[in-house]
Amino acid sequence: MQEMHQHYNAVLVVLSYLVSVLGSFTALQLALGIAQARTPGQRWGAVLAAGTAMGGGAIWAMHFIAMIACNMGVQVTYDVMLTAISALLAVVACSIGLAVVSAGAFGWLSLVFAGVMMGLGVAGMHYLGMAAMLTSAQISYDGGLVALSVAIAIVASMAALWLAFHLRGRLQMLGSAWVMGVAVCGMHYTGMSALDIAVGDTLPAGFAQGLSGDHLGMVVFGVVVVLLALALGLSIIRQQRRAALTI
Amino acid sequence: MAELEVRVVSERRDGLLLELGRVVNEYGHVLVRQRWVQEAQGACLTLILRGPPDRQQALEKALGLHPRVLRFESTRAVQAQDAVGSIVPTVVAEPVAFAAEPAGPGEVGPWLPSGADVARVERMLPGLAKDYPRIFPWLINLEYAVSAEVRDASLYLAGKRTGAWIFRRDFSLGARLGLVDAIRRIALPALRVLVTVEQHEHQLHVRGCPLCQPGAPSGGRFFAGFLEGLLAESVDAPGVVVRETRCHSLGAPVCVFEVSS
Repeated sequence: MQEMHQHYNAVLVVLSYLVSVLGSFTALQLALGIAQARTPGQRWGAVLAAGTAMGGGAIWAMHFIAMIACNMGVQVTYDVMLTAISALLAVVACSIGLAVVSAGAFGWLSLVFAGVMMGLGVAGMHYLGMAAMLTSAQISYDGGLVALSVAIAIVASMAALWLAFHLRGRLQMLGSAWVMGVAVCGMHYTGMSALDIAVGDTLPAGFAQGLSGDHLGMVVFGVVVVLLALALGLSIIRQQRRAALTI
Repeated sequence: MAELEVRVVSERRDGLLLELGRVVNEYGHVLVRQRWVQEAQGACLTLILRGPPDRQQALEKALGLHPRVLRFESTRAVQAQDAVGSIVPTVVAEPVAFAAEPAGPGEVGPWLPSGADVARVERMLPGLAKDYPRIFPWLINLEYAVSAEVRDASLYLAGKRTGAWIFRRDFSLGARLGLVDAIRRIALPALRVLVTVEQHEHQLHVRGCPLCQPGAPSGGRFFAGFLEGLLAESVDAPGVVVRETRCHSLGAPVCVFEVSS
């Protein structure tokens, strides 16, 4: 079989990292507020908001920007159902991880559990998103690199959570988001290096009905705008609360 | 089970019973009776509590160090048991007392709590908050404005309120930490805004404290209160206690604050 190679648009690769940092920053800021919720409804609202920002924003949006950045030399569309499920998987896994790590005192057990959940959320979304890919090319994976990609996701997620919940100040806010961005992008690009593509000659069923890169780009753009608005809104609310605090 | 009578004074009544009730429950005690009296210094709440004798001392400490408690007194009652094993309800009052220990040069002796001038502290705090971190002129004015008997308690109250406010403003987002981590990540950066300070494990060494001039009364109670207010909600352990063990005003090169939980 004739092998094919991946070529990346550098600008979109950088953009993918920035989106993962933005999504992680928003998600972690929302997660830090979980402990301040006064009712179970508020708590679960904060958990879901944080999980959605992380799973839908940092992970899912980053993945599809990176896929748009990747030129494999063949036409690609994406199965709508699997694409949606991949986003849901990321949201649920991240919500569970953030709910656990934000409950009560910070311990190593909760950090490991949350890091594993978030790492599996990142990896699960990626490989399900890859399974959603509809193309004539033949796809296979290097098992060792797949395992490495999952390990990167878990370890870097744990580091990001530790920074977010353990520190205070600028390093807490920004450092955790940058590190989580490394988790998401590190996992993705390692997973993409595990990918072997060979020339095929048959388009799969449903190819014509799949999401094209243009449509995905619009959805991703919309997600990024929502993330930016959330981050800005949260920052403004926190500043107002800080100013209104009386001694 | 043993009875304990506790009398606390707080600047305001709202929510005090609920907050102290939580502390009482945490230490395995129940509330038998309560009584409110309004005093010049604030609201006075008397509680009759019942619970295991081995946890009384810890409960007294937790109540006495509660951020809303300005003054704290307690009287223990024990029940005697006669020869045939039935309980005879004989009450023997054991007032909680503080024994003064002699202190060496530069060393600070144990602090005996008494009421603060709540009204003056309350009037001073908004101005202090507005000028933060330039707070020392406000504190020096407070020292001159209150009488000598309530000076230490007033500085302590001002410190505790300021520390709690700074925690809510700058450090509340994040998980509860171990004590040494909380000192490193919260107390040290918060104090560095005010004074030159170093951490040595559970101790904080303050150099050139503006409130502690050699030969003058020590102003260390402000920093003790400040650290307690700052760390109370940040540590994964009940009841942070800060003691000043050495003071520049007593001849030591630095003021040393020991933090424990």
